[in-house]
This record gives sequence, structure tokens and C-alpha cells, in this order.
Amino acid sequence: MVTTLEHSVDSSTLYQNDFGHAKGLLTLAPGQIAGLSGIPGSGLTRIGLSLLAPYAVKGPLVYLDVRGWANPMAAWEMGIEPERLVVVRSNDIVSWGRIVATLLDGVRGVYAEVPTGLRDQVLYKLAALARIKRTPLVLRPISGKLPGGVAHLNLEACEVLWEGTEAGHGNLTSRRTRLVASGRATRGMVQTIEVEDDGTNDLRVVPHLGAETAGYIKGRIRAG
Amino acid sequence: MGRDGRVVACNEAAVGHGVTVGMLSRSAEAICPTIVSITQDLAVEMARFEPVVQTIETLIPRVEIQEPGTVYIPISGAVEYYGGEEALCERIEKELDHFGGDRRIGLAAGPFAAYQAVRRTTRSQPMHIVVDDAAFIADLDVASLGSDDLAATFRWLGITTLGAVAELPRDAVISRFGRAGLEAHRRARGVGRDATPRGIPDDPAVESHFDPPIEDFEQAAFVARNLAQRLVGNLAPYGVAPHRVIITATAADGTERSRTWRSADPFSERSLVERVRWQLRSWIDGMSAGIRGGLEALRLEPADLSGSGRQMALEEDAKDFEETQRAFMEVQAIAGQDNLLVANPQGGRDPGERISWARWGEESSHERDPDEPWPGRIPSPAPALVPPEPVPFEITWVGGIPEQVQLRSRWVPVLSWAGPWRRVGRWWDGGGVSDRYQIVTSAGAYLCEVREGRTYLIGVYD
Repeated sequence: MVTTLEHSVDSSTLYQNDFGHAKGLLTLAPGQIAGLSGIPGSGLTRIGLSLLAPYAVKGPLVYLDVRGWANPMAAWEMGIEPERLVVVRSNDIVSWGRIVATLLDGVRGVYAEVPTGLRDQVLYKLAALARIKRTPLVLRPISGKLPGGVAHLNLEACEVLWEGTEAGHGNLTSRRTRLVASGRATRGMVQTIEVEDDGTNDLRVVPHLGAETAGYIKGRIRAG
Repeated sequence: MGRDGRVVACNEAAVGHGVTVGMLSRSAEAICPTIVSITQDLAVEMARFEPVVQTIETLIPRVEIQEPGTVYIPISGAVEYYGGEEALCERIEKELDHFGGDRRIGLAAGPFAAYQAVRRTTRSQPMHIVVDDAAFIADLDVASLGSDDLAATFRWLGITTLGAVAELPRDAVISRFGRAGLEAHRRARGVGRDATPRGIPDDPAVESHFDPPIEDFEQAAFVARNLAQRLVGNLAPYGVAPHRVIITATAADGTERSRTWRSADPFSERSLVERVRWQLRSWIDGMSAGIRGGLEALRLEPADLSGSGRQMALEEDAKDFEETQRAFMEVQAIAGQDNLLVANPQGGRDPGERISWARWGEESSHERDPDEPWPGRIPSPAPALVPPEPVPFEITWVGGIPEQVQLRSRWVPVLSWAGPWRRVGRWWDGGGVSDRYQIVTSAGAYLCEVREGRTYLIGVYD
């Protein structure tokens, strides 16, 4: 099991900058696109929803559910009110692009699962449209990754560690997901961050943990 | 099916099964499972309605359209010409007879009373003539004001008819209900809208000329959008918006076609663009012989300007709301009405049970009270992915302890696990016993159910 992190934040400017940057990584400005890749179970759905949750205050968000497996309870736990989340179910690869384009024109944020076999061209067009409409878009490919240049922020899950369960005792309480972040949001550099999720609507972010430079990082901050 | 998920029209066969206009489409499908639902397309309806309007205009000029299917006809002059109200209505009936379908006529001194009179008609009695507007309006239920919230509040105050609303002091209604109350009070008293006290331009109409003439509908629609934006934008600084707009198209051969559109609420930019598009489509693509030689000029002339409806509440954003509604309607048309859903919490033990789904735009209800205790309920956090049906899941158990999980083609060791949470079904109903486990691996955590010796996946903690 994972040991608990220290709760103090080092006062050195260098470390504060690191934390500030890591915190900024898990925010999505209007018109920005995040791409999430990793197998189901790595916690990316909740991370994706948390990126959009701040926009639910102003209007509805849409979850485009390709697999038909979306559970809105996870979104509610991330702070999205039930009436602010609309789920669209469609596994039709032909109409997928039209649906996302229509939604970008009318809602505050879109979380879209990307069906396998979709042409890259469709994603590039949608990315341009999201930027024009200033609607944040989270794309979660069902398999594989997004083509390069689509997303402002790419998050790839490397490892997930759960706490709370023992041999038949307890229950799942919190999760730490190690993510590799890349894209324009990381200024072109590949960074490793760790996100702690305890089931509430706050994610805690720790930069560089798991990377070789993580030895001096101690602490955690609130992302919200 | 209309924008709000309700039946707006149905054929004889559907009526025979008990389907009625205004019924939720879900209810209609429940009583008549073989029913075919078609989403309403107002542009197509307008194209088909245009010949009807033209026919009416051969009898009486200056017809005003409220929506495809509803027209207001000023008849004060025509009544004398045709020899009375009934004779006029019969003449209109006769002229429209060859279009078929169900026609209803309401006749009154004011537009509000006329509209309510139409709503009083039935298939067997398609005409309702109001002799005394004031008495007719006084007997109407408060629901006829068109606002459920307002009607509910009036009822709560013991006011059930518009006659009772009309007797309330105007100032008290305004201070209690604001703009909506003022409008309701006016309608209840049979009074029209106040003329705007502000100075507005002498000729607020907007017009565009095209050289060469436009022959393509899409081009015309694009121009219409700009024109509508200009019109609403020009009036906005004066705090007014039109309740009526006269759309005039001039063809290259010099012929002019004109149509008046009316709206109970003042036209917004979007609603006006929509109506101009419908009208142009009916003229250009419809059965009315098109615009010969192309569209040379288009003019939008506002009428019946009022200041109501332009002042939004502090946090209100009507544009966003309209855009959202429009986007959802379009998505509903693409993905199907059953695939645009809103979820609400309800009681239950498994994650899938704790969600009550409703189509977007329809009222949601939950079967089980979420506030009741649900022993055996899986604790939070909730799995982010829940399959619609349990999926067979391969786990190797050694002495009752899970050891390995098959994820796609590879076996992954179980790092830790919790459970079981036992679920006892209704044995008298054939429900069995099942145990739920949370299984943690290096690739993620899963919620599974063991039932009759087999393991099923019922949630993924993604």
C-alpha cells in the first residue's frame, strides 16, 4: 500500500512554483481540449469530469457515452449537479462528429468518449471548433490515443494505487493515479504528476511524484 | 413529437388507440407500442402551411402567422363584406376544405381571446365565436396564461380564474409578480400591450438589395440572418423588441411577397432568424411557385414594439439557454430521442439501480426513495462506469479468496479486495442471493458480483 504524503508544503519558491504549475495542469480553460488515455479503471473518467466540473455552475455539461456505461453518480460526486449533466448515448461513428460539433455550440463543456476507428480529420476539426466556440472539451478514446496536436493537455495513466481495502476488509476510499502529462499545457515537456482522489469533488495534485526528481517534493495541495 | 417531448399532432389511427395532443410521447408509446414518432420540423411545416395562408389571403388581407399552423386574421372589414361572422367562417372553411385535415376557428375581438377560443374548440365543434370578450376571458382558468409557475401561485392564493386576476389591484400584481404579473393582468383585463413611451427611429425597418439576385435558399438564409441581427440590434439600444415582423421579399421580376409573423413574446435574434428562414424556404423551395428570377431585395419591418422581455434577471442568460435548447434538440434529432438522457438519484443497492433515467425534456420520477436506508448498498466512491447488464468476469478464487483477474487476454494479480456485501433478493419473486466484491489490481479497481457460482462485472472505478 502507498504511504501517506506529508501535509506540509515546502516554502521554497522553486517547490511552490512546481505545485502551482501542477495545480494549473488539472484545469481546463474555455476552448481547451484535454485528451485522456489509459485503460478503464485508471481513474481517468473522474479526472476528466473534474476538469469540466467548474463549468457546470454556469450551464449544462454533456457526457457523450459511446459504450453506454456512463454512471452519472461519479459526476455528482465530482460536484456536478444532476440537472446540469446530460448524457448522450451514441455509438454511431458516422454521427459522432456531428453530435459533438452540435454540443460544442450549445453547452458549457463536453466529455466525449471517442469511438475506435474515427478519422483523425474529424478530431482536428472538432478541436478547432472547440477553440472557436470557447467550449472546453475532454476526449477519452475508447482505445489508443489521440493524434498529436489535437489536445492542449494529454494525460496518460501509468499506474493506479488504491487505499482502503485489505483482505476482505474495509472498502475503497481513495485512489492515487500516476499520470504522464504532455502537450502545450506542459510547455512541451513531459511531466509526471500524481493525483489523489478520495471520492469527493476535490482532487489533490502532487507534481513529479514517481519521477526521478521527486525526492524533495513533500506535500499536497487542493486543485479546486 | 414537439420540442418538449409531447405529442403535437397525431393521425386517426393513433387517436383510436387513445393518443391525444399534448400527451407525453413516452405515454403515447406506452399505450400504442407500434406508434411511429416523428420529430417536429417547423421549416417543413411552414412550407406546407404557406399555401393555406395564401388561400386565406385571397379572402382577407394582412394575415399574421404565429407559428406554422396558427394564423391571426383581422376580420373587422371582412365581416361586413361577407355578411356576418358565421358567413365569413363558413367561407374560410369552404376555401380550405381541399387541404383536408383538422381546422379550428376561434373568433373574438382581441387576439388573446381569439386564441383561447380556438383552444375551446373540438373536432366535432371546430368553431367558437366569442360574443363578449370580457366575460369570456373572466371565465378562463389561470392556466390559460401560459405560465405553470404563475398559475400555481395564483391557485395557491385562491385565485383560479382570469376574472379574479383582473380584479386584483394592478400595482399589487406588479410588485408581487413583476413583468410576468403585469402581462397576466393585462391579458386578464383584455387590454393590449402598452405602447412604448420611448422614442424610436421613424423607420426601424432593415432592407438589403442583391445584385445579382439570389436564387439559392442557403444564400438567402445567410442574408436573412444578417438582416435579422441588424433589426434586433438596431432596436436593442432603445430597449424594445418587435412582437410582429413583416417580411417582404422582392423578386427580380418586380413582384413582391409579404408575410407578417407574430409572437406572444418579443422576437429575439434567434427566433426572428428562424422565422425568416422558414418563410424564405416556403417561398423559394415550397409549393408556392418560388421567387421568379431570384430574390432581389429582402425587407424586415418591425411592428408592435414593446419593452417587455428585454430585461434579463441578474443571473439569467437567455441566449445561452436558447442555444442549449437548440443544441439538445438537434442532438435529439441525430441520436434519437431515447439517447439524450438526464439522470436523477433514486434508492437502490447496486450502482446501476441508484440512477433514474429520463429523456431530456421529460419529467423525471424515481421509483425508490433515495433517502430510505438501503442495507447492503455499496459505499462511495461510485464506480464511474457501470455496464447496462452484468458482464461475465473471470476471476480465479483460491479458498474463497480472489487471486487473479482476467483483463482482456492477460491475467492480473489481485492486490487487495473488500467484501462481500451480500444482497438478498426477493425469494418469493425468484430473486437469488449474490455477493458483491471490490477487487483491486495494479490496472484498476472493479466491482463484481458473484451469483450462482459465476462472477460478473457490475462496475469499473474509472
